[in-house]
Amino acid sequence: MSANLEHAEHHQPSGIMRWITTTNHKDIGTLYLFFSLLMFFIGGLMALVIRAELFEPGLQLVVPGFFNQMTTMHALIMIFGAVMPAFVGLANWQVPLMIGAPDMALPRLNNWSFWILPFAFTMMISTLFFEGGGPAAGWTLYPPLSLQGGNSMPFVIFSIHLLGLSSILGAINIIATILNMRAPGMTLMKMPMFVWTWLITAFLLIAAMPVLAGAITMLLTDRFFGTSFFTASGGGDPVLFQHIFWFFGHPEVYILILPAFGIISTILPTFSRKPLFGYDSMVYATASIALLSFIVWAHHMFTVGMPLAGELFFMFATMLIAVPTGVKVFNWVATMWRGSMTFETPMLFSIAFIVLFTIGGLSGLMLAIVPADFQYHDTYFVVAHFHYVLVPGAIFAIIAAVYYWLPKWTGKMYDEFLGKIHFWLTTIFVNVTFFPMHFVGLAGMPRRIPDYAVQFTDFNAIASVGAFGFGFAQVLFLYILYKALKDDVTVGEKAWDGAQGLEWTLSSPPPYHSFETPPKVE
Amino acid sequence: MNTKTKKTYYILVAFTIFMFSFSYMLVPLYDLFCDITGLNGKTNKVKAIVIEEPSERFIKIKFVSNVAQSAPVKFYPIEKEMTVQIGKIYNTKYLITNTSKTNMITTASPSVVPGEMSQYFRKIECFCFNHQEIKSNETKELGVQFMIDTEIPNDADSLILSYTMFDITEKNINKKVSLK
Amino acid sequence: MKIIIFVLLSTLMPAVVVADWETNMPRGVTPTSIAAYDLHMLIFYITVVIGILVFGVMLYSIIHHRKSKGYQAATFHESTKVEIIWTVIPFLILIGMAIPATKTLIMMEDTRNSEITLKVTGYQWMWKYEYLEDDIAFFSKIDKDSNKARRLNSSIDVNKVEHYLRNVDNPVVLPTNTKIRILLTASDVLHAWWVPELGGKKDAIPGYINEMWIDIKEPGIYRGQCAELCGKDHAFMPIVVKAVPKSEYHKWVSIQKDNRIATKEN
Repeated sequence: MSANLEHAEHHQPSGIMRWITTTNHKDIGTLYLFFSLLMFFIGGLMALVIRAELFEPGLQLVVPGFFNQMTTMHALIMIFGAVMPAFVGLANWQVPLMIGAPDMALPRLNNWSFWILPFAFTMMISTLFFEGGGPAAGWTLYPPLSLQGGNSMPFVIFSIHLLGLSSILGAINIIATILNMRAPGMTLMKMPMFVWTWLITAFLLIAAMPVLAGAITMLLTDRFFGTSFFTASGGGDPVLFQHIFWFFGHPEVYILILPAFGIISTILPTFSRKPLFGYDSMVYATASIALLSFIVWAHHMFTVGMPLAGELFFMFATMLIAVPTGVKVFNWVATMWRGSMTFETPMLFSIAFIVLFTIGGLSGLMLAIVPADFQYHDTYFVVAHFHYVLVPGAIFAIIAAVYYWLPKWTGKMYDEFLGKIHFWLTTIFVNVTFFPMHFVGLAGMPRRIPDYAVQFTDFNAIASVGAFGFGFAQVLFLYILYKALKDDVTVGEKAWDGAQGLEWTLSSPPPYHSFETPPKVE
Repeated sequence: MNTKTKKTYYILVAFTIFMFSFSYMLVPLYDLFCDITGLNGKTNKVKAIVIEEPSERFIKIKFVSNVAQSAPVKFYPIEKEMTVQIGKIYNTKYLITNTSKTNMITTASPSVVPGEMSQYFRKIECFCFNHQEIKSNETKELGVQFMIDTEIPNDADSLILSYTMFDITEKNINKKVSLK
Repeated sequence: MKIIIFVLLSTLMPAVVVADWETNMPRGVTPTSIAAYDLHMLIFYITVVIGILVFGVMLYSIIHHRKSKGYQAATFHESTKVEIIWTVIPFLILIGMAIPATKTLIMMEDTRNSEITLKVTGYQWMWKYEYLEDDIAFFSKIDKDSNKARRLNSSIDVNKVEHYLRNVDNPVVLPTNTKIRILLTASDVLHAWWVPELGGKKDAIPGYINEMWIDIKEPGIYRGQCAELCGKDHAFMPIVVKAVPKSEYHKWVSIQKDNRIATKEN
């Protein structure tokens, strides 16, 4: 890849050791972002294997066992390898810049939390080449199926432990930085929204990741050390795993989207040339979404046979989340309202985010309705829903953030025309891919199947075409990044005329120690 | 690392460790929760207190059996259905036959539907989770003594008690005791 | 948009596009499936209205409030009144949704007064059906034609296989206009029994039993499949329910019983 080349260009070259030993927040941020990009393409290739097999009914390319490994690994890599590291990378770059700090609070820990990742993923991906293959029980690892897996299981669990450790260390660092290193005068309620959403996300990470670690440790001891947390023959309960898993899993969902909210709340005001509408209510809405995320977990498992009271409680709690999420969407629209808008690539991705994330949110509201969920559960309708909130949600926000801050990070401007083409291709194909999934799901196609009845053929074929289009559109993204770094279109301190915030007071690229002397915030 | 940062760091590490232990605390919490709500049809582990006056109400009970992992056993209830007086103690039996050529150890897990009613299904004696050693071709009787709690709501219609039999010989191979 | 894709695809793959373009949940033939469908449509229309309103305002803003038209940015950035309005209104809409949903859910979870009990056990990868009152039990797995065609590179055109992946050797026969309690459990791993036209699904969990009920109002053949990932052949354990009038059902039951006695005597 061109990664090393680019590094050499915008930093003083001093070999690979510099990257291994770096404690600089910008270097580590860059490492995270490149790692995430690599994982995005690996996970994407797996998605294309899935979509190629599903192009038409009948098995043409892979056996069902391998297909299940692909769905499992695609999810694990995209969640833990692509989206989360990308957000941590953005936080590494932006948090010190936005709060006026010289670096992160715990720089050596920062180095560690990144360098765990390549090892963890090498181990996880290597299980695909084991005899018996990689994990195939879905990323949710439900027992008893996950207990049936081959030799890959302990390796996958160990790598998830490492990923969890990495995220927790990253989160601790971010909290310590935000709480202790803000410039004088920057009170909590003056922090940029991206910093706020990351602070809340970091707390979610620390609360949720250890629970996942606990759940998978129990799986491990069930398999190898004779405990029976999840086996009925020893008085355990497979459903208990689902409860513990989703106690982690639902906050995890918000870990994947809250920083995206922060990014959108930063970009919209810039290109609307108007301050963010309802800053305070945005902060409160984010915090209440985070709190509610701990009491809605069982909506992922309405079909396990909960008592009526439990189903009702989780249905109401889940519906309640629509209120703060709605507030956020309305505030964004109000930010755009009567602004003086221009539509550069980051803005286009942000607007698409709002529209498509809202569609995903509305289908989420449909999924909250238990009686209807008995029909939706585990179908492609669910697949459509969470891809709408994760791809045009989380990933669009990450892409928007990269376009938005790239001039700041590198001092160079991307090609606006190509950026717009990238946006239109991505947005069109994302819809071609995921919108038909609503239809096949409602018509009765379950998820996680390598082959389907012939009545689902047409929409699956469309989705597969869309997926390949989406994949190729991201190759264009690579080229745009490459071109931006090669070309000599330099920018000044303030790349966007409407941009607000401390990061735009620094040179582009910013000095090695971002703020040597803390800036004064009014 | 200044003292303020150090303090934040230690608090957060402690919180992480707490959350890890919390995941383990969820296990007994879940059991407690199941006991209270009858989630997943877990039957009450508390033994019944004999009530003086059986109620005048009757309720239908169906007995169901399952064999996990297609283990080589025949396992079924002697009575498929009973109409019982609420508050009175009843006995019934399940039969298990080892149809394999080797001796085995089995255990059974109970489950009741509707889940909400399982808390009123009081088992006084039950073979659940006991390790049964069954020789090849042997048939054993497994007794259940139970009572339906008088507090059961009036609109309850019928209860189903199910046992799933597991072959756990392999798991207990090292503990193989008196299987002569 | 859809039309463009349709035209595009019909030129690319003329053979494929003859199939139906089913885009919605089937209304189904049981009180539970109809209730789920009605709720689904109600919530769907509400979300469509919300979507049109939000996106409409956004679109208006995008068209009119742009710098290229010389629009000057306003400076307002907060309004407690507006925030309260758009907190309270969604909340009221949600209450409006919750009431019918709660009613339907209570109806769905009420398995009382069922006439027959069908126990369904999930296996890797087939189903076992037991009629508790009539002492009938049999396994049901994917039919031979589908099973042959589904192999990797089987060189059989799956479009020519009748009910590809949705056909079994022994369908479940059930009476119409009868409240049927379905007990669900599994032998090995989690499964879920789902026939869309008969209503929702429930998980089959080894060691535990779950219950749901159906009451089929129209005779017919209804097809579904396992809906919880259960290993490599998860996609290949279909469900076929043959709903027949009561009298025919009783005939079927007595034939099954005779067969059983015959096999026992042999």
